[in-house]
Amino acid sequence: MGSRSFKEGLWTNHPIFRQLLGMCPTLAVTTTVLNGISMGLAVIFVLFFSSLVVSLLRKVVPYQVRIAVYTIIIATFVTIVDIFLKANFPQVSKALGPYVPLIIVNCIILGRCEAFASKNKLSLALLDALGMGVGFFWGLVALASVREILGQGTILGYRILPPSFNPLVVMILPPGAFLVLGSLVAIMNRLERVK
Amino acid sequence: MKDSLRYNLRVIFVLTFASLICGFVLSFVFNSAKAKIKENEKKDIYRAIYQIVDNCKNVKEKRINEETVYYLFKEKDELIGYAYLSQGQGYQGKIKILFAVDKSIERLLGIEIIESVETPGLGSRINEEDFKNQFKNLKTNVPVECVKFSPQKENQVQAITSATISSRAVVSILNKGIQSLKSLVKEDGK
Amino acid sequence: MKELVLIFISTVLINNFVLTYFLGVCPFLGVSGRLSSAIGMGFSVIFVMTFASSIAWLVYHLILVKLNLIFLEYIVFILVIASLVQIVEMFVRKYSPPLYRALGIYLPLITTNCAILGCALFMVAKNYNFLEAVIYGFSAGLGFTIVLLIMAGIREELTYCQVPKVFRGAPITLITAGLLALCFMGFSGLIRA
Repeated sequence: MGSRSFKEGLWTNHPIFRQLLGMCPTLAVTTTVLNGISMGLAVIFVLFFSSLVVSLLRKVVPYQVRIAVYTIIIATFVTIVDIFLKANFPQVSKALGPYVPLIIVNCIILGRCEAFASKNKLSLALLDALGMGVGFFWGLVALASVREILGQGTILGYRILPPSFNPLVVMILPPGAFLVLGSLVAIMNRLERVK
Repeated sequence: MKDSLRYNLRVIFVLTFASLICGFVLSFVFNSAKAKIKENEKKDIYRAIYQIVDNCKNVKEKRINEETVYYLFKEKDELIGYAYLSQGQGYQGKIKILFAVDKSIERLLGIEIIESVETPGLGSRINEEDFKNQFKNLKTNVPVECVKFSPQKENQVQAITSATISSRAVVSILNKGIQSLKSLVKEDGK
Repeated sequence: MKELVLIFISTVLINNFVLTYFLGVCPFLGVSGRLSSAIGMGFSVIFVMTFASSIAWLVYHLILVKLNLIFLEYIVFILVIASLVQIVEMFVRKYSPPLYRALGIYLPLITTNCAILGCALFMVAKNYNFLEAVIYGFSAGLGFTIVLLIMAGIREELTYCQVPKVFRGAPITLITAGLLALCFMGFSGLIRA
């Protein structure tokens, strides 16, 4: 049971490619791999600790106001991440800009808190959060790698394609985000069918 | 009736309690990080000043009309110029520019981009040296102009290819900043 | 006046919330399947966004700034939006049952629509005054609705197309959105900075 809920998020029920959740940061910050990694880590942190608190409080919170309470908890952790980034990694904080506070409304986090953490015991909730978080993380890195390689010929700032390669600027621009994500989802569909 | 009242009280209690704890935690975290955040901002500005004006040895901040002007000094406290932080709207978000001028406020010594969230690979190229170096030694008595092709006239800079909006934003933020710096220094001289 | 018109045009067309900031992509993909639901969602968003932007402005400038509590910005905004959505829902149900029948099921979904929180955050970051904030909220909602309607129209047509099997569903929708974003980039020359 434990290992299954971990694997769910990693592949079979992947938050980005299968459930199409958390689209806003997925599309917005994946212009460079570094941004993708920082956003991924931020989401893992928030998801892990929100699931922890929500799972601990699952018997205390009245049903009708559960969403409001979960949102407050999530917003608190997001603010902590935001302050932490501003204090210790100002460059990252500037690059992610308004997409850090927008983690609050990332449907993956509220979705997992509501659908899983509020109904399961602590260890399961944490495994699920880790699975979903790491799944989201690799999804972001995959999308960002394609966009950075095709759009700038670099990965993590290092040039890997020869300078003669003419970058496909559209990949960095908003339309590229939609096009690459669409193609990646199609590839996932294909892989699933072969199985 | 009594039950529903009890339920309502419980709801109110849980919500208030949750908000209180969260507010408390946040204020604690914020206060422990506040000094560091301030310091980061300051570090960026000072790094930019020393990068633009290499013979600057000492910087003094002065608050004039709620705004900060940086007075730049050589050895023996000889005033060589001023620096000022100007900000405005770019293509995607806020752009913050630090620029320095000589002590008579007639020539630009240079600019540095402190903060920008322009499109990587396009607008973000306002951070490149080639673009920023164009501003060195421009006049400040007439506004700087931004043109698409190589500059023909004085006081023009060339916009970055396919990032005209970001380049123009930098120029207009700069022009606005020069005007405010002039009036602030004048105010201070009175 | 000129400023307001500029904010309006640039928010609706040039910096469209969905296609350039990716705010509200989840509902954009979720409810753009049918034109009728797209209309309901679109108008609810315009409605809530205009209110949210104005109230967030008031709360931010009259309470948070005055009390030096800016670090509570996110938590306060999300609570304001959540309560606002609830109040609007109750109000509409009481005073306009036909409107409630049209918008009712979309209202609760709006709390988790990142476009609303995004609108409030951007409005603060851009340092707008109150009137500008109201216009900004309205035009952001309008921009969202226009794109949602265009998308719903295209997707209704798409159901009659032969799409390769692996591209069916989400992939083709995302790629259509990409092409739409490409079209909207054409508007970026509309305003000279």
